[in-house]
Amino acid sequence: MRESTPTVIETRGLTKTYRGVQVLKSLDLEVHRNSVVGFLGPNGAGKTTTIKLLLGLIRPSTGSATVFGMDSEKQSMEIRARVGYLPQEPHFYEHMTARQNLRFTAQFFFKGPGKAIEDRVDEMLQLVDLDEKAERPLKTFSGGEKQRLGIAQAQINYPDLLILDEPAASLDPIGRRDVLEVISKLHNDTTVFYSTHILDDVQRVSDAVVILNKGQLVAQGPIDELLNGSEGVVYAVHVKGEAEEARNQVLAQPWVNDVEIGVHNGETTMQVSVSNPQAAEERLFKLLADSPAVVTEFRRKQYELEDVFMHIVEGDKPTTKTQTSSPSMLPTPIHHLPIT
Amino acid sequence: MEAENQSETLMSKANIPIDTGRPGSIWSSQSTGGRDLQAVSGHGWFRGLGNLLSNELARWWRTKMWLIHSLIWTGLTALMLYQTPRWYLFEGYEPVVAVFQTLGVVVIMQGVLVGEKKDGTAAWVMSKPTSRSAFILSKLIANSLGVLATMVVLSGAVAYVFFSTAPKGVPTPFFSLAALGVTCLSHMFYITLTLMLGTFFKGYGPVIGIDVGFFLISQDLVGRLPELGNVLPWNLVLPINNGPDSAFLAALNGQSLTPYIPLILVVGLECIIFTLISLWRFSREEF
Repeated sequence: MRESTPTVIETRGLTKTYRGVQVLKSLDLEVHRNSVVGFLGPNGAGKTTTIKLLLGLIRPSTGSATVFGMDSEKQSMEIRARVGYLPQEPHFYEHMTARQNLRFTAQFFFKGPGKAIEDRVDEMLQLVDLDEKAERPLKTFSGGEKQRLGIAQAQINYPDLLILDEPAASLDPIGRRDVLEVISKLHNDTTVFYSTHILDDVQRVSDAVVILNKGQLVAQGPIDELLNGSEGVVYAVHVKGEAEEARNQVLAQPWVNDVEIGVHNGETTMQVSVSNPQAAEERLFKLLADSPAVVTEFRRKQYELEDVFMHIVEGDKPTTKTQTSSPSMLPTPIHHLPIT
Repeated sequence: MEAENQSETLMSKANIPIDTGRPGSIWSSQSTGGRDLQAVSGHGWFRGLGNLLSNELARWWRTKMWLIHSLIWTGLTALMLYQTPRWYLFEGYEPVVAVFQTLGVVVIMQGVLVGEKKDGTAAWVMSKPTSRSAFILSKLIANSLGVLATMVVLSGAVAYVFFSTAPKGVPTPFFSLAALGVTCLSHMFYITLTLMLGTFFKGYGPVIGIDVGFFLISQDLVGRLPELGNVLPWNLVLPINNGPDSAFLAALNGQSLTPYIPLILVVGLECIIFTLISLWRFSREEF
């Protein structure tokens, strides 16, 4: 967590209403510099609306948004000069070639020299593997190729903030992997704020997540903390034999908050919630090993992002790695953690 | 297997060094000319105008668009004047300018903004550091130049050749230019009107419907309420009912344009008002 890191995106009470319907409800959001933030939510949750508000493409009904400390409504052009944006469905001038579209994009940011602009265009074409198709009109491009071009044009200005709306949509698995690779590489230099439905991708490359549901922020925070659940660090232990005595010994420790016991397929499972992760890491296993019970499995419990997402968005019963978690262990909406 | 090879290539290409010229960047140790790039500065209403205008002009002049329109309007002019008795060539050219070209302007302009709003390119361009006024002005300037060059100048040149065979002879250069100027003003009225309508609507139907409807009923309106002839562009290129000539015919016949100066000024003002409304409305557009 890097709370001291400067904030790149900040919204306060950001609300958007279309014809009396609130599609975004008082969003308070913080994204810090050099973080990779996955922006999640079901269709219609308000993700694209939020992104458009940040870019000044639409105006807030109430509330405010700042990017790099600048007001998204009044200083939109200054913001856009430092942002790279990939729309959900990239649209370019179809009568132009890929190279012409990239050159056109680059000239919003750079006035010259022409050679340097052409070099930059070439680099972007190579980056997304479109260099051999650079002279083809866009009307001949597939959806995936347009998506790649979208990624190239979003990066052409060396953006300080990259906003990607569904960057992996329309891409085959290899293209998707490459997009994730690019996002990972940008990690140290650029802040990346991207929306997606592919939760595996988020878990792989993101530092933090923001989850919207029905226009409301339902969770935001560092991904590790979100995956750990709202009750802090929990260990999942499977034991055979004298489970009750082992439980009492564990509960007697000052750094243990709670121990839940359940019986599953002839084994006793213990969910040990701890207040001091370091003490638990050093002593918990030894304590259980010295107890009369036989430890058959011991792990620090972590939820899959999909579990967290489904729980938060739909209140579904979670299915975790350990298969025994209780819903109470999952993050409880609303989960406000500073995003690093 | 091929896909895997392609993937390897792509991955290695993704690793290609890129030079941002930014110290500490993952790209900074890398190759080419990023350090040489000069950033565009300024955040005024004209930011991006040069780039947008260049792009719009290229759409006219670096595609076949200029050729198609040149052929259409010179061909139509030649066809109409070829069939017209030599004594009435000026009158024969009038419907080309007043009807066919006006409808041509509406057809060209109706998709200029609506098309980009519908296919998402306007939203894409507006996500770049450029002003909305630059977007509108680039459309206005580039399309005005394209329309006026192909419809007015080239078509006028063909007409001039035909006029040289007329018993009346050709108009003097001053009156020829005056006739072209009046035509330009009439076309500019419809260019700016259509552009303005494009800022209000998201579909082609309302834009072309209102435009063509206005054009069709304006003759009737001016006939019923002659005062409207002082504020609508009809009399620039067509006579009102059985009234005096249009400004266009007056110029070709070498007559004074003084009676038409108030109308010319009013229509010019209307073009400016339509443009200002377009700028205002587009500044409030949500993408």
